[in-house]
This record gives sequence, structure tokens and C-alpha cells, in this order.
Amino acid sequence: MNEQRRQVLQMLAEGKISADEADRLIDALQTRPETAPPGAAPGPKSRPKYLRVVVNAADPSTDEGGATRVNVRVPLQLLRAGVRIASLLPPQALAKVNTELDRAGVPIDLTELKPQHIEDLIDHLDEVSIDVDDPDAQVQVFCE
Amino acid sequence: MIPQLVTVGYRRPGGRTRRLHVPVLPVALVLSPLLLVAAAAGVVACLATRVSPGGALRGAGRLVLALPGTRLEIEQGAAAVLVSIR
Repeated sequence: MNEQRRQVLQMLAEGKISADEADRLIDALQTRPETAPPGAAPGPKSRPKYLRVVVNAADPSTDEGGATRVNVRVPLQLLRAGVRIASLLPPQALAKVNTELDRAGVPIDLTELKPQHIEDLIDHLDEVSIDVDDPDAQVQVFCE
Repeated sequence: MIPQLVTVGYRRPGGRTRRLHVPVLPVALVLSPLLLVAAAAGVVACLATRVSPGGALRGAGRLVLALPGTRLEIEQGAAAVLVSIR
């Protein structure tokens, strides 16, 4: 527990502030980034905002050695918005998709996939870093 | 923040790179009658498929607001495509 929160709880225990005021103060402490004391080690980096996909591949099949280069930057917020839109799909549509997936040999039940799960997935996407090094290609997926 | 500028660029093999800068707000204003028709069609489609029109509108709004910062670059040999939203 940090010092400021302890002080708020102390004031609540001593009756100096009401429970509502304590709640508001703790909320304000949570939304405000803590100021690091001078000389302290730098805190964690700010949260990444973009998902980057970088592909550099040589194409030996073409005579001129036409390399393929892909550079995609997608805001993570866009993925979240997409998830919210996907959550609007009616159950009967999901059932049809499940049937087709089953027929294609992919037994995934999309009705079990809740938006909250995907939100959690996106929240932790910033910790994902994929590097593929191949003699002919290099693929990087990371967040920045 | 809504997107302000969409840049579309392409390069054909052996050709020059062409870039088209589209200011979103003026174009949206010019196309606003069509956008209204599209919105009405969207509401009808939502009602037909039993999707909440309000939810769909909110979702579409969030999607549009989240677009700035998107960048897509694909180069293959001498050909290239670029889409950038700012």
C-alpha cells in the first residue's frame, strides 16, 4: 500500500473525513500518476499505443530479386473498438459462423468468446514481442 | 480525435509514386448527404438483423475515433502501396 493511500485511510479511521470523501480521494490517487521522488529509479515505460507488424522478405522467385516489405502500425484502441463492434453480433449469426467453422474443421465456439476476454487479451498485447529470423525473411510483431 | 488527413500512395512497377492526400472533414462535409443516407441504411440494416442501432453507432464512432495513427505500407519489388491516417 502506498503512503498517500495509507494517509487517506488513516484520516478515515480518525473520523477526519467521511467514507465518501475517502473514496473520492483514493480514486483521485489512482487516476493521478505518482510523482517519483528525486533520485529514484525511473518507473515503468508508458503504455504502448500501437501494434507494429514489420516484415522484410527477399523474394528469390523473381529475377529482379523483388523484396517484400510490410510495415503496419495499428492503434491498439482500434483493436478495442473492433472488439466492441464484434460484440454486437447477434447470437444467431454467431451460431451460423460456428456451424461453418465446424464444417471447415475448426471446432471453435465463438459464443464462448466474451468481449471481456478479448479486451484482456489486448490489454496484455503490449507484453507480446515476436521475432522470426529466417534466411529469406524477417518478421517482427511488437507494441510501441 | 477524428481523423484529419488520409494519405493514399501507390507505385506501379516502373512508374512514379503517386500520393493522394484527402482532408477528411471537408470531404465528409461534401459527402454529408450521402453519409446521412448511409446512416439511415445502416439503421435499417441493424433493425433487420436485430442489432442495437445505438450500439452499432457507438461502435462505429469509436472505430472512427481510433483510426488516427494507422499506417499500412506494403512494398513488393517495384510496386508499393501506402495508406496512412492522421
